[in-house]
Amino acid sequence: MDALLTSAVAGLTAGGTYALLGVCAVFTYRLVSVVNFTGAAIGTAGTFALIALTEAGYPTWPSVLAGILVGTFVGVAIGTIMTRWFAESSASTKAAVTVALLVGLIAVGLRLTGGQHPHVMPELFPGSAFRLAGVEVTIASVLTIGLAVLFTVLSDLFLNRTRVGLHLRALSDRPMAAELLGVKVQLLSLLVWGLTGAFTTFALMIIAPQRSPNFMTLSLLVVPALAAALVGLFRSFWLTLAGGILLGVIEGMASTVDSISQYRSAIPFLVVLAVLLWSQREARWDDAR
Amino acid sequence: MTRASLRASLALVAALAVGGAAVVGLLPSYWVFLATSVLITGVALQSLGLVAGRTGMIALCQMSFAGVGAWTVGYLNLAEAPGDLAVWILLGGLAAVPFGVAIGLPALRLRGINLAIVTLSFATAFDTILATITYPGQTTFLQVPRPALFDSDGSYFVFVQIVYAVIAVALEFLARSRLGASWLAVRHSERAAAAHGVSIAASKLSAFAISAFTAGISGGLLAGYLGTLVAENFSMMASLSLYAVAVMTGAHFAEGAIIGGLLVVMFPEILRRFDLPQDIGNVLFAIGATQALSTGETMSETFRRLARKLRPARRTKAADATGASLPQPAAQAAPVALEIDDLSVRYGSVVALDHVNLKVLAGTVAGLIGPNGAGKSTFIDAVAGFLHAYEGSVKLAGAALEGRPAHLRARAGVRRTWQTNRIAPELTVGGYLNLAAKGLTESEIAAILGWLDCPDPEVPVTTVDAGTRRLLDVAGVVAARPAVVLLDEPAAGQSHEESVRLGQRIAQIPKLFGSAVLLVEHDMDLVRSVCSEITVLDFGKVIASGPPAKVLGEPAVKKAYLGIEEESVAA
Amino acid sequence: MSRFVISDLSVNRAELPVVSKVSLVAESGAISVLLGANGAGKTTLLEGLSGIIPVAGGRIELDGREIHKARPGLRSREGLAHVEQGRTVFRQLTTEENLKVGLSREAEMAQAYDLFPELVQRRAVRAGLLSGGEQQMLVIARALLTRPKVLLIDEMSAGLAPVIVTRLMNAVRRLADEGLAILLVEQFAALALSIGDRAYVMRRGRIVHDGECKALARTPDELHRLYLGTEAA
Repeated sequence: MDALLTSAVAGLTAGGTYALLGVCAVFTYRLVSVVNFTGAAIGTAGTFALIALTEAGYPTWPSVLAGILVGTFVGVAIGTIMTRWFAESSASTKAAVTVALLVGLIAVGLRLTGGQHPHVMPELFPGSAFRLAGVEVTIASVLTIGLAVLFTVLSDLFLNRTRVGLHLRALSDRPMAAELLGVKVQLLSLLVWGLTGAFTTFALMIIAPQRSPNFMTLSLLVVPALAAALVGLFRSFWLTLAGGILLGVIEGMASTVDSISQYRSAIPFLVVLAVLLWSQREARWDDAR
Repeated sequence: MTRASLRASLALVAALAVGGAAVVGLLPSYWVFLATSVLITGVALQSLGLVAGRTGMIALCQMSFAGVGAWTVGYLNLAEAPGDLAVWILLGGLAAVPFGVAIGLPALRLRGINLAIVTLSFATAFDTILATITYPGQTTFLQVPRPALFDSDGSYFVFVQIVYAVIAVALEFLARSRLGASWLAVRHSERAAAAHGVSIAASKLSAFAISAFTAGISGGLLAGYLGTLVAENFSMMASLSLYAVAVMTGAHFAEGAIIGGLLVVMFPEILRRFDLPQDIGNVLFAIGATQALSTGETMSETFRRLARKLRPARRTKAADATGASLPQPAAQAAPVALEIDDLSVRYGSVVALDHVNLKVLAGTVAGLIGPNGAGKSTFIDAVAGFLHAYEGSVKLAGAALEGRPAHLRARAGVRRTWQTNRIAPELTVGGYLNLAAKGLTESEIAAILGWLDCPDPEVPVTTVDAGTRRLLDVAGVVAARPAVVLLDEPAAGQSHEESVRLGQRIAQIPKLFGSAVLLVEHDMDLVRSVCSEITVLDFGKVIASGPPAKVLGEPAVKKAYLGIEEESVAA
Repeated sequence: MSRFVISDLSVNRAELPVVSKVSLVAESGAISVLLGANGAGKTTLLEGLSGIIPVAGGRIELDGREIHKARPGLRSREGLAHVEQGRTVFRQLTTEENLKVGLSREAEMAQAYDLFPELVQRRAVRAGLLSGGEQQMLVIARALLTRPKVLLIDEMSAGLAPVIVTRLMNAVRRLADEGLAILLVEQFAALALSIGDRAYVMRRGRIVHDGECKALARTPDELHRLYLGTEAA
């Protein structure tokens, strides 16, 4: 029992990361209607900028900032491709484009970072925050979950309290009506891409030390992220948050049971399968066509 | 149709034979070895082309299916199963089918994007599972033996080539069959496909199943090619990059799969010779795929377009209907073809249709008119089974249709057209009619096309102008000779002369095809000239019905259309 | 004084030529009424004017500046406002938020509430929950706050009760009197003709009648013929 709790808590860091990545995916989908497969890869690019800088001897925190800037920039770059050439495309074409871009990003990333070559990822937030029922809860896990909650709350405030947020909500409600009123649609879309780029980068920086920091493994964190987003049906931030954390906790618990621990990366697949089968019980026509 | 498939298949087999002979006869053995790899990748790409290219879904675990096939072959080898590689490969393909179907199930309804997420997560899961359970015989270095006849690299190339040819020919025939047409139709518009009686679930699942089977075969071929395999052969990255290549080259075309195979195999080879990093290939595939998605044209389609330009321009000939005769009209026993009683539809608090009653007598053309937003399209949607729920009853030749989904209503005899054109542009004109109506002979198809001044059956729909596509819509529904056809604004966008001619054709439909017609139309000249009875809807209610001359003169109708109250104008 | 000139404009929808070589003018202080039966091409014309659909040929000039190549957002900043058909409120936003989206620096919210005082007590209500009439008022007021020179209005009376239509028509007349150039697309002719100045009638994508509103209002048979075809009158 105790072991199970320990491992469940150990899964919280991953859960927090999945949650934050998932919330960012929902944010992107709701505001610019793109199911983004490059989400984690964008953050990974920023994370590796941090690694490169610290390996070159630069101090940690300025490097973190530079890394976040790189992540933001990569996000905006992908956003530019999406808004310039695919603004009018169908949702599934947009998703296909991000899949293609993911292939390219991973290839470039692996090349620049030397493939499987081991890297030292500075642990930004070592140590434990507090003890819960005799189990250490790490700062990293508190931080990722906190960040995910913060992102959810902040995006709520930002969307509801600022003029830019108002424009974004108008844009997601009726893009054409917003454009007809002179709302700067393209600029706002890029803002969304930049924001999610910055947040995912920071999330990945926190989780990177716990994973083998290789460009591909980190980029593929998009799988649990999208699974979490599916739990929220690509609509609800809070459900996505819960879904991400739950996914991490289940993974953590699975890692203690010997017979299934090796198969724990199949968990997102099972969650996706279950959510989809459940959510299509009310079968209806594909709205767009 | 089969004649065209036969011609294409023969061309394909001949090209493969000549190319294969050249490879074996002229190239050094290392290149023969590489060429084998090209063909195996080509098989995998064909399997992907089926799902990604034809049904338009994003499938990101094709190499996992190949892995299932390869693992099965390895397992059968380890277990010293009877038969040789050829049999095992077939079993490997079959083993992949249940996986394909299981993964396809959650993507049957809702957006196609879900399939992307399911397949990607399956690929991740498969990656680690295969790494854990390892490839059978991997640790003992047990080789998968090739068939006795094809043991050398050169002869194994021939073996792979034969398999490739069989699959390519089979897919060619499938693509031109009604099933193949249904894949394209479903990709383009699920509703329109269902309106032709196509079961969306059956269509999608069959595509997934065949695709997984083909991918499984490619895995089996790979097992015989390399002897032993490791999990990395079937990694998720391989699936992702294969998807990018398929999108870039258009893997559902025979040449697209080969070009893709060449790119995947030869690119790293060339880069290696120039001492360049080999993973640049993936970057180029990503750029190529993005480019193809932005222009909406794959490499194969570009080549075909250019080739068409080079060839002396063939005039799009009209269908030659000389000597061809229309199919027998369907016999309609019931005097009332369609009977609607008290039909009501609500969207939330809005009442879109309010206790509408309407009858269409067999052998007649009836009209349904009304100003914008009166509920005409909702009416058609309700009758044809495209609405979630409605109150009241819809009877076709006396039999109630309630509880039947759209594709079953279509099969029962309710066919409809759409305001916006929904014909899949990748089809040929003849392929479209074949999709719309099962079992017509070639001469009957030509006769129907000739009757409506449509182009020749061989003409691709992409080259047909939008106005003619609307006629093609009509050709499709009448070809099926249902009890009732519902025409939704067939004359929209047609010139006056064209619409007059269309009117004459519509008036002949009951006699020539045995179908009663309900015409929704704004062109009052057309309505007046072809309809024996018309019904006027306004705000979801029937405000008038009867012969056109009488109804169009009624004050309530004038008011609905013009907002004119005679007295207010006079005042 | 603003002048909105459309010359030889053609617009295709899904490759079909829906609007062919249409020329018309809207001027400050006047309402140009564009009539025509369903499917005549009125909505497509407006969508070509505001940039929702690219035009296939011809010119659009606002105060001498060509705008037919610009994106919709830019045309809006040049002074063109389009009230689309179907009452395109932002459903998730409140009335007040809807108005704020397009609010230009020179405009004040009061102008909107001044035109339609009905909206004041609905300011905190989500626009999706407003009645059809209120939604129509909202989109007109919202367009007004972008401080346009030209206002395109598409089928604002569709599906609304006559008393509300009259209310809307009066408001539109007032906007014209305050100096806006208005192009009013309507299927329901009578009221539009009663408030309009110049009348155009479209049929099959072409302008088939161009004259005074008053003159056309006096000859309902002529109108009937223009709408419903040759044999009706």
